[in-house]
Amino acid sequence: MSGTTSTEQSSGSVLNRLFGWIDGSLVSLCLASLVVVVAGGLVQVSFGAFSMTIGEAWRAVFDPAVIFDPQVWQVFLLGGELPDLSRRTLIVWNIRLPRVFVAALVGANLAISGAIFQAVTRNELASPFILGVSSGAGLLILLTLVVFSGLAAYLPLLAALGGMFAFVLVYLIAWKNGTSPVRLVLAGVIVGTVFQSLQTGLFFFVDDIGVVQSAIAWTTGSLTGTDWEQVRMALPWSIIAIGLALGSSRQLNVLLLGEQTARSLGMSIEKVRFALSGVAVLAAAASIAVAGIVGFVGLVVPHLVRNVVGSDYKRLVVGCLFAGPALMVAADVGARLALNPIQLPVGVVTGLVGGPYFLYLMRKQQNIGEV
Amino acid sequence: MSEQQSGDSQQMVQHGETDATADGRASVENGSTRESALTGDALELSYPTSEEPVVECDRIDIPRGEITALVGPNGSGKSTLLKSLAKQLSPDTGNVYLDGKSITEYDDKAFARELGLLSQQHDSPTSLTVEDLVYHGRYPHRSFFEQVNEDDHEAVERAIDLAGVEHIRDKQIGNLSGGQSQLAWIAMVLAQDTDVLLLDEPTTYLDLHHQLRVLETVRQLNEERGVTVAVVLHDIAQAARFADYLVAMQDGELYDWGPPREVVTEELLADVFRVEAAVNYTPDPEIVPKHSL
Repeated sequence: MSGTTSTEQSSGSVLNRLFGWIDGSLVSLCLASLVVVVAGGLVQVSFGAFSMTIGEAWRAVFDPAVIFDPQVWQVFLLGGELPDLSRRTLIVWNIRLPRVFVAALVGANLAISGAIFQAVTRNELASPFILGVSSGAGLLILLTLVVFSGLAAYLPLLAALGGMFAFVLVYLIAWKNGTSPVRLVLAGVIVGTVFQSLQTGLFFFVDDIGVVQSAIAWTTGSLTGTDWEQVRMALPWSIIAIGLALGSSRQLNVLLLGEQTARSLGMSIEKVRFALSGVAVLAAAASIAVAGIVGFVGLVVPHLVRNVVGSDYKRLVVGCLFAGPALMVAADVGARLALNPIQLPVGVVTGLVGGPYFLYLMRKQQNIGEV
Repeated sequence: MSEQQSGDSQQMVQHGETDATADGRASVENGSTRESALTGDALELSYPTSEEPVVECDRIDIPRGEITALVGPNGSGKSTLLKSLAKQLSPDTGNVYLDGKSITEYDDKAFARELGLLSQQHDSPTSLTVEDLVYHGRYPHRSFFEQVNEDDHEAVERAIDLAGVEHIRDKQIGNLSGGQSQLAWIAMVLAQDTDVLLLDEPTTYLDLHHQLRVLETVRQLNEERGVTVAVVLHDIAQAARFADYLVAMQDGELYDWGPPREVVTEELLADVFRVEAAVNYTPDPEIVPKHSL
């Protein structure tokens, strides 16, 4: 009798270990983020060059001709010709909503990428672009636009590849009988500085102001003109990166205990660190490919989430998956509608929001920097 | 004492016999050398920043099922030696054997299932709870994506119980006193469920109560589960009371080793610690400095 109760008790606590980490702060953060995403999405679908009332926009969003038609979804997600739809539905579903989806994907990717890099480097001020990723992507963007303009169609792919290439280079530079967080960050600075100079140098060879604008849009991050094609491009990689990030939360938590403890617990620390960085770079690359280099989201979101749910990565990663899209969708509302009809690159808005947030944190918190 | 020992290959047996007669603990098997759980052979250890080797040690044995204390002044290489035994620092030359097998042949996780190490310094996120920390001790027993199972749960409960941190299990590490957090970390290594446990100065900076709690936990683990322990201790009198076996180090070399009674002598205190002191056994060892430095 007592035996059964004790088994029940202990299996209860195994269950508790599986789901007990979901707490009130995480649930409220996720709900609040969802509200922001939905509200931002509603604003995005309602306003624009073709104006409609909020009621009309909502009816278009819930148009059964789209929602319950697998054929339409197939076209959205795999490409092809859309069947006939009403004009409003077409504008909402084919132009305005995909931009919201892309913003959400980019936000989620950047947030988990930043969260992972902050654990790998054990530095709260690390961002998805810390290990040379942004400078590598930026350099390849400019090279493509200026020198190899024939390859412009592959720009998203090349930008992502540039980021990954720079990351590998950073790792090679940092490696000396293994790496350390400090060496990695320093190598990131080295590669970043050189690539940044090359980038700036390339601007002098541009004659066409249109190319300059395009280059700036890519290097500051912009969602202008994104549609289902960008969703199709980013979605598979995002799913992989997010799945791996969720599955690796325990590894990330052990990394936070410090290198020595992680190693004495039997973690093959170099392998794990490289693999996790790889996941973070994949997520960053997926967002670069569709939106360019959007700054601050990957830095601010994990920080903000950590302040709410604590540093446990099980909660942190989940929180980032909700808060990242919220910030990105909200920022894109500003980028698209603030100076209507001129659209700003969304990276300009995230920078304008992110800077003051850090100022606020710096004033409020005593020791900022340690995870 | 030490002249007699140097170059005497049988000294371990002699000590073992004295040990057995002294307090009745049978630590010698049929007159043969007592079995080592962990052996360091011809070790030369250095850090990337140092030119000279920090530790040179022909042979060190950590006897199975006993508590071995490493003592010596600051900078004598105790922690360095412990790190190399725990596979945290690879030696320039020489090798370390765990259960007769070179530690380089162990896979990282397999090694961590056999040998646990509690480092001198450890930091953790301040919002981590004690229970979550202890669960991290199960890391080597779980595969990459594996969830907790019944074994993990039992090992964690046992560790929490043994370290006596039940009452603070839901507290955050950042809100604990130094002594409490040290016990939480000890619970983490206990949850690792290893046969060999290495502890680097687990009692330094703790008040007397927590020092004794830590040592008691280790002693209990050794007696009840037969865990082999090697521990770096600062207080030589404490080490002499607590350990079955002492290893004294000086300037990166082993000065003497054996049961405390034979190692802790006035000569050792003068040579190694540069302290003129009287050593009395009443029956526990007492060290009384003869005059101020």
